[in-house]
Amino acid sequence: MSNNEQHSKPLLRVQELRTWFYTFGGLVKAVDGVSFDLAPGEIMGLVGESGGGKSMIGFSIMGLIDPPGRIEGGRIEFNGKNIAGLSEDEMRVIRGKEIAMIFQDPMTALNPLYTIGNQIEETLALHTALSARERRAKAIEMLHKVGIPQPEQRLSHYPHQFSGGMRQRVVIAIAMIAKPRLLIADEPTTALDVTIQAQLLRLMRQQVMENGTSMILITHDLAAVSQMADTIVVLYCGRIVEKGPAEDIIARPRHPYTRGLIDSIPHETAENDGPKQRLSQIPGNVPDIRKLPPGCAFAPRCSRASERCRMQDPVLMEHNAIAMGSGKLRPHAVACHHPLAVSP
Amino acid sequence: MSQSVKDPAKPLLEVRQLEQRFDVSGSFFDRLRIAGGRISAPRRIVHAVNGVSLAVKRGEVLGIVGESGCGKSTLAKTIVKLHEPTGGQILIEGEDITRHDFARMRPVRKKLQMIFQDPYASLNPRQKVRDIIMEPFLESQAGPVPDIADRALALLAKVGLGIEHLDRYPHQFSGGQRQRIGIARALSVQPDLIIADEPVSALDVSIQAQILNLLMDLKDEFGFSYLFITHDLSVVRYISDRIGVMYLGFMVETGPTRTIFAEPKHPYTRALLAAAPQLGTKLGPASEQVGGEVPSAIDLPRGCPFRQRCLLAFARCAEERPELRPVGGGQAVACHLHEPATEPALAAT
Repeated sequence: MSNNEQHSKPLLRVQELRTWFYTFGGLVKAVDGVSFDLAPGEIMGLVGESGGGKSMIGFSIMGLIDPPGRIEGGRIEFNGKNIAGLSEDEMRVIRGKEIAMIFQDPMTALNPLYTIGNQIEETLALHTALSARERRAKAIEMLHKVGIPQPEQRLSHYPHQFSGGMRQRVVIAIAMIAKPRLLIADEPTTALDVTIQAQLLRLMRQQVMENGTSMILITHDLAAVSQMADTIVVLYCGRIVEKGPAEDIIARPRHPYTRGLIDSIPHETAENDGPKQRLSQIPGNVPDIRKLPPGCAFAPRCSRASERCRMQDPVLMEHNAIAMGSGKLRPHAVACHHPLAVSP
Repeated sequence: MSQSVKDPAKPLLEVRQLEQRFDVSGSFFDRLRIAGGRISAPRRIVHAVNGVSLAVKRGEVLGIVGESGCGKSTLAKTIVKLHEPTGGQILIEGEDITRHDFARMRPVRKKLQMIFQDPYASLNPRQKVRDIIMEPFLESQAGPVPDIADRALALLAKVGLGIEHLDRYPHQFSGGQRQRIGIARALSVQPDLIIADEPVSALDVSIQAQILNLLMDLKDEFGFSYLFITHDLSVVRYISDRIGVMYLGFMVETGPTRTIFAEPKHPYTRALLAAAPQLGTKLGPASEQVGGEVPSAIDLPRGCPFRQRCLLAFARCAEERPELRPVGGGQAVACHLHEPATEPALAAT
């Protein structure tokens, strides 16, 4: 779906990112050697269960890692420039203007003491030279675009006067008003009802496509991701276990964890009156990230695990290239000693 | 599937025209309003559940689905009488428990247990697992029970936990394990009906599958029924024999699971199904997308509760509230579009 495939240079290149937290309970390697590229206009889904490190990747890119955490190593190249470890002042120029973020809970993302008009215009005041009147006009236009009725009156309202879905629309308006080149959305619809979720996913997709913005959609909801994303990156315990084109990951997952995630979603069984099939489940729990086993972190829960898996870390390797509809080759990579066979 | 006890024809749980209203107007001074030179003190009433009727047979799973604020959790809590119902009737095996006080509810609770959404908040953090899971059982017994430790162990084994977990506290468990403890607690009295309020919503998807499998295994083993409350359509489709769809405290459609998913009749059910993300399908055009949001349960709209968001609403929808009427095949719909009066073609045949 990314229409800017002629651009060979990625907008964002994350290389061997390591974000670690030094807690009293031990060292938490929340992100441990994650690399990916994001092309201009591309929508990438970052999926995994709680503790997978998906939110921490978003926070790392935004420069929002606070002690006891820090970016231990790796590069975050945004538009050709390494932004990992930039100072707060330098990040401020980028944040909001170049890279915007949407959080799960709109009530904590909005300041309850300011009107939403104030909060939308703040981004423009910081990053543009527009006059107050122009800013107001833009804010009204933006509110209208995200589907808030009577935007002129709503500007002077406070966050508590909006419903959850409307608040998230305001947050999207704030994120998109400066036309950022990268939008990071961290579980943007998880707290919302399914009819509102569908409205907002459509809205976000339309907004990023209109502006040619790249998007990282962070979520645990594989179904939502498969609807939106061009590429999917699957995380487990701070590492990428699989990445590739979205359709390919969903239709032909090669990592046992990805397969397990997909099969865990209750799906339509054959429409008969026979006994219900058991859901195939991943046994056990996500391990304590401070005490990861040696070798592959998924090995204790994996039915395919061998002695080798318990000894040696699997490396993320491109194993094939699937010809997409456009004739373009896009790599599908998996970190597994015994990947699932590709069904013909 | 069902155990052959008592009268199998009689529903295990029957709810008739259940109503639950909450007065949220506060004190007299909170209510005081001056408008147009007149002083008034209007009450603010939340109409959480509005005349809901349902029945659960032995060995059956009835799924209640709806979005936040539709009253599905209040319905569950009212049935187990955590809220006193403000109207209607609740019958357990034909026994009317609507006006039962605490003491008279005690024997009923042996038949009726609940599993809650939040496995962190529903376990007492200061109790050990052995005390948590045996409490309902001990409450239901007259005297001391000699083999209590063995019973606790047997219960834990049923939900996939072991002897090493018996003397631990809730905080030492993961979310999925805590939900297993909550299930063991509900099982301890060998209930006939388990009311499960979003039991897997707080869990990761791989753990969610484990708990759903466990719930189905236990049902097969003990033959009890579930009233299963969830917002997740894929979960409700997987687990339920029949489904009830709620909107703004009203039951808008009921029917067998297959029928509801194959031929949803109510415009809200259709919108809900269209909005649910499907694995591997791209986000389609917004044709079936329902706009707007759920209205306030304080000022219920006149007529049909869904009419302001409904693409098919017509004049009568604003005038008259549609009632849940059978449309054949065990399906019932509360919509004027599916009544004989507005479907002359159908009525003629």
